[in-house]
Amino acid sequence: MNLLAEDATVGEPTGVWGSIAGGAEYFISIFQKGGEVLWGLMGGILPTLIVLLTAVNALVRIIGPEKIEGLGRKAAQPGLIWYPVRYIVLPFLAVFFLTNPMAYTMGRFLPERFKPAFYDAAVSYVHPITGIFPHANPGELFVYLGIAAGITQLGLGLGDLALRYLLIGLVVIFIRGIVTEFITVRMMAKREKAAA
Amino acid sequence: MNAINSLLVKIGRGVGGVVGTLYQAGRDTVDTVIRNIIPFMAFISFIIGLVLITGIGDLIANGIKGLAGSLVGLLIVSVVCAIPLLSPLLGPGAVIAQIVGTLLGVEIGKGTIPPQFALPALFAINPQVGCDFIPVGLALGEAEPETVEVGVPAVLFSRLITGPLSVVIAYFASFGLYS
Repeated sequence: MNLLAEDATVGEPTGVWGSIAGGAEYFISIFQKGGEVLWGLMGGILPTLIVLLTAVNALVRIIGPEKIEGLGRKAAQPGLIWYPVRYIVLPFLAVFFLTNPMAYTMGRFLPERFKPAFYDAAVSYVHPITGIFPHANPGELFVYLGIAAGITQLGLGLGDLALRYLLIGLVVIFIRGIVTEFITVRMMAKREKAAA
Repeated sequence: MNAINSLLVKIGRGVGGVVGTLYQAGRDTVDTVIRNIIPFMAFISFIIGLVLITGIGDLIANGIKGLAGSLVGLLIVSVVCAIPLLSPLLGPGAVIAQIVGTLLGVEIGKGTIPPQFALPALFAINPQVGCDFIPVGLALGEAEPETVEVGVPAVLFSRLITGPLSVVIAYFASFGLYS
């Protein structure tokens, strides 16, 4: 749709009226460009997204999100080997199966001193996961999609970026979990000392 | 005869269950698309149109080029986003991160920012993720009020360390990406 066609058959209006008309054309051109972008998004990624979301939603329903609760109980144990489970495996599965924001309910199986760190790890993963599994956080896709659009425009593939985002995300949430747990435990100890 | 009957019932139930699940999944998906995804696409499209047509784009490009085109610049962005007083304000709905991500995408597309900076940039614009939501997130995990009191500052201060650190990790992990 072209509200103000450019291929005029008569001479361009000039003078004051001409500049107003030019301004109107400029005004409309902003939304024409925006419309083109929207059309590109709706025709480009939206159909794929709908099919992908449907498939993954069905898969999650068939498997049943309650299956990961056992892992939540296991991750509550102290000991070094449970760190990767608590801050990599559990946040990943929680975000994948329960999605944002229900993923944070998995924290209920953990002792109080691990809860802030688990939240930190889980919430930090709701964007890195969207590169490959957009169902986990469909309301906030454009952190990744916005940047990815530029890569697509250059004619480059997205697989490499999406995979690296997914994996580096796991490394980052692991570090985040450990650092936040360290700070939380310190603060709790300090608080108990002050209370005693 | 009874055995055949019960088998038929079993198969019927199984197939019905799977089809029902798929159908429900489709319904949920379309619901999400209409309520969450398309509205944001409309909003983002308007911003992209504005940036591309008006001179705002060039202004932003000049500002962003120095920040997003180098490791030091990205570190500055991540530290600013992780400041404990700012991060809860920048967090809600990841709107800020999504707008900045889109603007960066436009600049990457135009060639202002090299594409291998996409990965560290994804982490640099997002150290504030979920900082607005800590009390609610902890409540969903059935945390005690005392835990929330400690947890909020613990997460906010942790981000000040892990935010820039994530940019450095992503920077080194981006070697070999699009080059």
